[in-house]
This record gives sequence, structure tokens and C-alpha cells, in this order.
Amino acid sequence: MRDPYTVLGVSQSASDDEIKKAYRELARKYHPDNYQNNPLADLAEEKMKEINEAYDTITKQRSGEMPRSSAGSYGGGYQQSYAASSNPAYARVRNLINAGSLAEAEQLLYQVGQKDGEWYFLSGSIAYRKGWLDEATQNFTRAVQMEPNNMEYRQALAVMQRGATGGYRPAGYSSTTCDPCTAYLCCSCLTPWGGPCC
Amino acid sequence: MFGYVRPLQPELKCKDFDLYRATYCGLCRCLRQRYGLIAPMLLNFDFTFLALLLWESEDRFVPCRGRCHANPLIKKPMCPNSRALELAADESMILAWWKLRDSARDDGFWKGLPARMLSEILKPAYKQAVRRCPDFDRVVRGCLEELAALEEENCPSLDRSADTFARLLQSAAPQEEERGRVLSQLLYHLGRWIYLADARDDLEEDRLSGRYNPVAARYGPDGDDTALALTMENSLELMGAALQLGEFGCRMPLLENIVYLGLPFVQRAVFDRSWNEIKKQKIWRNDT
Repeated sequence: MRDPYTVLGVSQSASDDEIKKAYRELARKYHPDNYQNNPLADLAEEKMKEINEAYDTITKQRSGEMPRSSAGSYGGGYQQSYAASSNPAYARVRNLINAGSLAEAEQLLYQVGQKDGEWYFLSGSIAYRKGWLDEATQNFTRAVQMEPNNMEYRQALAVMQRGATGGYRPAGYSSTTCDPCTAYLCCSCLTPWGGPCC
Repeated sequence: MFGYVRPLQPELKCKDFDLYRATYCGLCRCLRQRYGLIAPMLLNFDFTFLALLLWESEDRFVPCRGRCHANPLIKKPMCPNSRALELAADESMILAWWKLRDSARDDGFWKGLPARMLSEILKPAYKQAVRRCPDFDRVVRGCLEELAALEEENCPSLDRSADTFARLLQSAAPQEEERGRVLSQLLYHLGRWIYLADARDDLEEDRLSGRYNPVAARYGPDGDDTALALTMENSLELMGAALQLGEFGCRMPLLENIVYLGLPFVQRAVFDRSWNEIKKQKIWRNDT
């Protein structure tokens, strides 16, 4: 394991507050919300794990406790938890998308005859992963039109529609303040410290 | 590559500005050393960004000094030669040559004459670059052929035509390991963004000349600036997310300036038509 202070980018003599601040900034950067359905999500997850372990080690060391080996201060909720699919083919498509086998997922999806909301959502997810963002938006829009009450589809569409206000920006590069429309993404209990992100 | 990828100079720290200029001058020198006296003409900001991206992560940057190509009487700080710089120079040579061929074809016999002549003069240099990066040239050639076929059939899908250019640029970085995955995602969306920015920039010109334009094919002859801006911003967001996962050391603040400030600035300028003036400005115009 790398030196926890190096991981958080602070010096050994940093105060508790400085460490907390550095940790929060990094947690904001690698937060799973910024990497939803992103082909690099696994790399972000590793980074998140690393900073959690580093923060944990430092806090334990400073409070005189022995650090536990793998206790993350921010743990669960990383893997995208999907709603149970009605169609078993959809479950397989989701697995293929998560594994990054997009061509196979696409092929399997096209064999499904009935196009419902989930079909368009999955089609949009594949397009998003490929970087075909215009088609992703169109498919997510169709999915939401067909099933307006599905939170998963609405959230996917909201990510496409938030434009320049979305995503992580390092301090000093943010052109806008936190947009209340996406507040449910950042001001929920999902933040590692259970409060607003900005 | 069209010069869209540049930092927002007023927001650059002095040390990042020096690093940027040293990389630009270093790439110029590298092109001259490898491809002769005419090659530095091809240099632009996009290729400088490529060099910065490809550079291995370093904590500190120490420039050396070299003679300026434009004015050999003065010496300027330049970044030292490295594998990244040479790769960027080779790939710039290949991309620039194909761009010249493209303009020669699009602009007709008389207007395309300068581009055609320049591409003939640079042909030996291009051949040499192909010997150094045969795989890259193969991808570029393949993607441009696909793009030409899509233009021929008036492809209505924005993503499908943008995908060809995005994959072309994606292949500029080695694909191996974690760093390769990060660069690959970043360059894919950079390519997509450049392609769309260029399509928006050419929208009126293409309408007058009756050429294929992906934005017109998707949204109609007047385009749809709101929808196009949104999908371009989606690409910028994914570029930013990829950038944060890479190790870029002392080059990170500069890369962040380009991705988070430079590209959005250029995008706005392309949409409000002020780009034609801005693109002629030299970033170092205040410099003595």
C-alpha cells in the first residue's frame, strides 16, 4: 500500500482538518456518480478505495487505534444496483454491458422483439458506453417517455441533460455553482460525509 | 486537426504558460529535426495538446534552450526531446498530410492547388512518418475512408460519422494498461468534440456549397445549437472524468485548463461565430 499521506496529497504534519479537506476533495472527484456507466468506472472505484483506506489509516493512527485492513469510510453503493428485470434477456444484457462486451450486448438486445422502456434504456446505455452520446440521449428520452415513473431511466436522462453544469470540476474550474436540478445526485446521503457536496 | 484545442490563456498560471510554450516550441524543433524545414508549418495547438497528453508523468519540468525556427537569431526555452514528443511529431505529420489531401480534394482544382502542392512537397516526409508509425497511418486511412463513405451516403447519424474521427484520434495513444485506457477514452471524446465543432463551424459554408454536413443531416439545414451544444458538453464531461483518472504530474493544471476552460470557450466561440476572429490570434501575442 502506498503511503496514506501521499495518496491524499498532504504532508505528514497536516492538521486533521487539512486531511479531511483533502479527503473530501478526492472523494468528490472519484465519486461513483461521476462515473456512472462510464467505461473507466472500475479505475475510479480503485481510486476511491485507495483514498478511503488512506483516510481510514490516518484517522486510526492519529486516534491511537490500530488500523483495520480494509475498512472503507465510504463503502457500499458503488456497483450499480439495477432494478430486477422482467425479461431474463435484459439481465444478461446488463451483465454484458457491465463486463464491457458491448457488441455482444447489442446483438442480444436486438434479438428481443418487443421494444419497451427498458429496451430503450439498455440501448441507450450501450450507446453511452460506446461514446455515441446523441443516440444515448435519444434512447433514454424514449425510455422515459414510455415509463415516466422509472427513476433509473430518468436519472440516466438527467445526466445527459445537465450539460456543462454536471460532473466534477477541480476547485477554480467550476463555471457554475451546484445546480439544484441535479441536487438529488450530490446533496443526498450518497456523499461520503452524508451532506451537501457544495 | 484544426486548432480548436487550446488553453484559455488569461486563466493560465505563468509556469503553466511557460510549460505550454516550451512544449509548442519543442514540438516545432522536433518536427524540423525529423521532417525538414517545411514541417514546422504544420505545427498547431492541437498537436501540442497531443504531446502534453502523451508525455509520461513528471513532477517537475526543466526546459532546455534551442534556436527558434521562425527567428534563428533568438533562443527560446524548449522542452527536451522525448519519446512522447517524437510520437506526437510523427503522428502530427501523418494527420497533417491527410488533412492537406482532404482540403485538396474538397476545394476543387484552383482553390485546392496550394494544399495539393504542399502535400506533394511533404510526401517524402509523410512516407517517413508512415515507416515510423505504420499502425497509426493504417487506422487514419481506414477511418477516413469510412468517413468518406458515410458522407457519400449522407449519413443522418451524428454519432456514426463522429465515431470515425473519434476512433482515428483514439489510436494516437498506445492502448495498453490503465494509462492507455484513460488516454483512449479521453482522445475518443476529444475527436468526437473536434469533429462536431468543425461541423458546426462549416455549417453555413457547406449549405452554400451543397456539401455533406453531419449537423445539417441530423438536425436540419439550420442545425440545433441547443441540442448540439449539449451533446458536445457531454463529451467534454467524459473527457474531464477520464483526465482525473490519469497521472499527468506537472502537466495536469495545463491539461485541466484546456479541458475545463479552453475547449468550452472555443465551443461558445464556434456557436456565436466569433471563432473566425479568435482562431487567428496567437496565444502568445502579448509576448515580446
